[in-house]
Amino acid sequence: MAKSFEFKQAEKLRDSLRKHKVRYLFLGKSGAILLGYSDTTQDVDIFVEKNEGNGQALVKSLKNLGFKLTIEMEKDITRGKDFIQLRNGPFDLDLIFAPDGIESFAEAWARHVTVSEFPVCHLDDIINSKEKSNRLKDRETLPRLKAFRDYWKKLTQK
Amino acid sequence: MKKEKHSQKFEWLADFKAARRRSLKDRWNLSFIHTYKPVLDDSPYRAFKTLKEYKKWCSGNLPSWLGYGQKL
Repeated sequence: MAKSFEFKQAEKLRDSLRKHKVRYLFLGKSGAILLGYSDTTQDVDIFVEKNEGNGQALVKSLKNLGFKLTIEMEKDITRGKDFIQLRNGPFDLDLIFAPDGIESFAEAWARHVTVSEFPVCHLDDIINSKEKSNRLKDRETLPRLKAFRDYWKKLTQK
Repeated sequence: MKKEKHSQKFEWLADFKAARRRSLKDRWNLSFIHTYKPVLDDSPYRAFKTLKEYKKWCSGNLPSWLGYGQKL
């Protein structure tokens, strides 16, 4: 069942991931929204660094937030499935360990932006990822997102 | 056509400026609108070894307008 995803939950997610020292970045439209983009979305995508230690930290954080994880689910997270959809917690969350259009977590991390302590992929990476995934709904929304990138870059260069 | 595109960009720019005047909390809460997504929302958990595997699952299981579908 679809649940709301309020800002206070986003803060709880951020705080828990930080507490457990998880290396991750907000990606996709939720990342763009954190950077100032105005649009609608339904769930949050996070790009998580793929290694066992980080996976274990993520499992602890998710359990702490109220996600109901079985042993098998924990193994999927720690041993590196590339894409995991969680609909078994307080909000819907997609975990992406190898997004389209981004070479490595280290590269994305080197370019990332922090907004109110939320670590977010750079807009270039968010756009690259959407371009490479080539979904119809993304192709339709990309011109607006690219226009926002131009606006955002002008603001951040000031 | 060119005029239409220019006017659209002008409209987008006005949206971006308006969004910038809102707090992050307001922007976030206004952005998240939940509706039921058939099939996708029917399982509490799914995991895919690769994104390629996920895309294949989408094409075989989701309505054409969801996931990686190519038709609206």
